[in-house]
Amino acid sequence: MANHSATHPKHVHHHFVDSNQQFESAKLGMWVFLVNEILFFGGLFCAYIVFRAWYPELFTQAALELNTFWGAVNTVVLIGSSLTVAMAIRSAQNNQKRGLEINLLITILLACVFLVIKYFEYEHKLHLGIAPGSFWNPTPEIAAVLDHPKANIFFGIYYMMTAVHGLHVIIGIVLMVWLYLRARKGHFNSEYYTPVEITGLYWHLVDLIWIFLFPLLYLIE
Amino acid sequence: MMSEHHGHHVASAKQLWGIGIALLILTVLTVTVAGLGLPSPFDILMAMTIALTKAFLVAAFFMGLYWDTKFNSMLLIGALAFFILMVSITLLDTLYRDDVVPSF
Repeated sequence: MANHSATHPKHVHHHFVDSNQQFESAKLGMWVFLVNEILFFGGLFCAYIVFRAWYPELFTQAALELNTFWGAVNTVVLIGSSLTVAMAIRSAQNNQKRGLEINLLITILLACVFLVIKYFEYEHKLHLGIAPGSFWNPTPEIAAVLDHPKANIFFGIYYMMTAVHGLHVIIGIVLMVWLYLRARKGHFNSEYYTPVEITGLYWHLVDLIWIFLFPLLYLIE
Repeated sequence: MMSEHHGHHVASAKQLWGIGIALLILTVLTVTVAGLGLPSPFDILMAMTIALTKAFLVAAFFMGLYWDTKFNSMLLIGALAFFILMVSITLLDTLYRDDVVPSF
């Protein structure tokens, strides 16, 4: 047993054979977490499917209150941020410190744009009394066009799914800021960029969930 | 066999931009198709086909499953299989009730 630190790169932990095995293990761990995330959101998608099968006319009626334009803009924003995350990983793999920093900053910016748009959507709806569950208290104009007795259920599902997704976006922003600060300190290079890679996987999943939420909630009128 | 430290696939910028642009085109397509007002169930089938295509592009190329060990793909497919199982078993109940629970 010779001196380990002489043969291993500094970032490799003692219990891994080499840098590559450590990287693959971290990625496997992240994928297992993403399986958990898919099934967590899966419960909400299941509720959506059950209620849509029960009240198909409610979903087509209620979706008219959602703004397709801003939903589409947010889809484009998230796809753009997925692209910049992929470019950030590529920058790290090519030892491009500046490219990594810039791509992380654009990703953070796009994630914030997503949340600002979402905030205005929520604000507009709540102003009209379009609230979930027992908080359902629509203005007379809304009640006239959306007179379904279960309208509050649709918005219960809408708020729950988009808010839990929004929470993931907020967590993603925190992680990206952390990555950016570490990137500035020069922690990442082609030999070691595991945190960038697995945060990227997380961010792509957040994008994936939205890819399904957008047509299911906004595009069904 | 790839060398120890450079065993990770590095996607080209062109590839990544190509996927990004394909996703944007599919987004425009799904909005356009929704505007056509296809009769049910073709509207939802079309929307889900496009969404699944987009999901495949993200998983395969942005998440790198295409170049990755097959085990990670298996985890994703496994998650989807269990999701389908969860929905199927739930629908076996909810679709065949004589009366939906009144308070629901």
